[in-house]
Amino acid sequence: MSKKLISALLILCLVCLPLFALADGTLNVFNYGEYIDEQVIRNFEKEFGVRVNYSLNSTPEEMYTKLQTGASFDVIVTSDYMIDRLIKEERILPLDKEIVTNLDQITDNMKGLYFDPDNTYSAPYLWQNVVLCYDTTKIDPAKVEEKGWEILLDPELDGHAFIYESPRDVFMMAFKALGYSMNTDNPDELQEAYEWLVKMKQTIHPSFVTDEMIDGMAQGEKWIAMMYSGDAAYASMENEKLAVWAPEQGTNIAIDCMFIPSNASNPEMANQFINYVLDYDNSMMITVETCYTTPNAKVLEDVTAPGGEFEGVEGYLPRSGYEKDEIYQYVKLLQSETPELLIKVKMQ
Amino acid sequence: MKSFFRMSYPYILWIGIFIVAPMLMILLYALTTAGNSTLTFQFTLDNFAKFFSDPDYMRILLISLRIALLTTVFCLLIGYPAALFIANLSDRMQTLMTLLLTLPMWINMLLKTYAWRGILLNFDFTSELKVFIGMVYDFLPFMIIQIHTAIAKLDPNLLIAAHDLGANRLKSFLKVTLPLSIPGIISGITLVFLPAVSSFVIPKMLGGGDYVLIGNLIEMYFLQTGDWNIGSAISLIMAIVIITAMWATKKLDRSAQED
Repeated sequence: MSKKLISALLILCLVCLPLFALADGTLNVFNYGEYIDEQVIRNFEKEFGVRVNYSLNSTPEEMYTKLQTGASFDVIVTSDYMIDRLIKEERILPLDKEIVTNLDQITDNMKGLYFDPDNTYSAPYLWQNVVLCYDTTKIDPAKVEEKGWEILLDPELDGHAFIYESPRDVFMMAFKALGYSMNTDNPDELQEAYEWLVKMKQTIHPSFVTDEMIDGMAQGEKWIAMMYSGDAAYASMENEKLAVWAPEQGTNIAIDCMFIPSNASNPEMANQFINYVLDYDNSMMITVETCYTTPNAKVLEDVTAPGGEFEGVEGYLPRSGYEKDEIYQYVKLLQSETPELLIKVKMQ
Repeated sequence: MKSFFRMSYPYILWIGIFIVAPMLMILLYALTTAGNSTLTFQFTLDNFAKFFSDPDYMRILLISLRIALLTTVFCLLIGYPAALFIANLSDRMQTLMTLLLTLPMWINMLLKTYAWRGILLNFDFTSELKVFIGMVYDFLPFMIIQIHTAIAKLDPNLLIAAHDLGANRLKSFLKVTLPLSIPGIISGITLVFLPAVSSFVIPKMLGGGDYVLIGNLIEMYFLQTGDWNIGSAISLIMAIVIITAMWATKKLDRSAQED
């Protein structure tokens, strides 16, 4: 009898093991990979006496799936359109403005975004746009600036291009090249964009990769890449032959924000964490480490000023206020169709 | 006997929770439409129809089967002589060689594949060749170890007897060693083919992004579109392919033993 009891207890312990990780005094933070200075986390742990359980995801969709399966996080960093979706689905807790006072340090154009006009639910973390990063010794800058995204249909680039493997960004490029909105829900425009991409794939046979392209461009592996501005800024700091260009057809302004999901187990500490990250010193550490653009007004001024970390670095400060640039919205058609279509593009 | 049976309770609980229940859920997802509430299900075969009616997806299935088959055959071709060679060494050398073989398996597969990415970067190979090299490298030890175990178990007296009866080395290999090592070959094939056909990390990292296998397709449906129904249907199709392959190899094994 007692043996049975012991084995039953042991099994119970085994099953419950993951639950202990959720005990008080821990804060579960979910962020993209290589997207923070880890010292910020360690300092926060020391200052607030909590253990931060820091885990990583690679796409907003992956994060959404995790959340869908009931995983509990306290602070999540994810992209604009996914926050749009989560706010609409009422899965986000409002920020405690008594705690998150550092919101005033944010630059005006990163506050009150379309999905959260009063920053009730989210606080900006870092922002960027999607650009072309190219080797000026291989491609004439005048040509890139004239053609924009259309340069990727130039047969001379065959085998020399990287494309960031993210369905919505890839389709954004095609929509912009064709003069459509990247938030379209028109299936005909989607079909046209698909055909543009097929033509691109058959003409230049690009490598569809993710973060591998950062070192790839820095080491001169390819001539041109469609990449995030922060990565382009990093690559161009490593390799001076590289130039960065945001095509005139328009691009995506991507704003990654922090939020507290409604199933958070430690919302108060989560608010503390968000406020901590928004602070001048920590914003500085994060932007310097990641090369992505900070939303903190003072930090932004200081790093781009003479003597600052990113003085004169092309690509660090994305263009803003340009009418053809857009922010992603949650569009069901694009969300469900673009990943499948991207696989079909790759199969061509 | 009965008390030993009781010791398997944790194991039964384990497979119940982590294998049987998920399989049943995959079956349920595969046969239903998206967006069901917990209690009412809308059954459908659309998920399967979508997969089989799409020529691109059929191509992905064929490419996956082809690369898995190529990997298995190649692993067998280099694995068998290697296993034979190792089995003929002294006991101490055999232990050493097995250790050397298993040593790379202590390293995380992701790291090894990253290393291969760096190596293959300098060669102008096709995506398929790169993925093939990565797969052969990763799965070869499974083949060698399985075959080596089978050959090492052989009674050396059988070979002496074959010699006594006038068989030369080739003949005694063909009549004694090869037939008796077939169970090892079969389990080697199973251990290489199954992970190769469902691999998604290796094609993703070595294929330069334009080499899509069925595992990548399943990953896309689960992680990107969040369409678990089609993802489950494709997983189920893969499970059927794998079970058929296992059944066929078992069958082959039995008929070989009857010979």
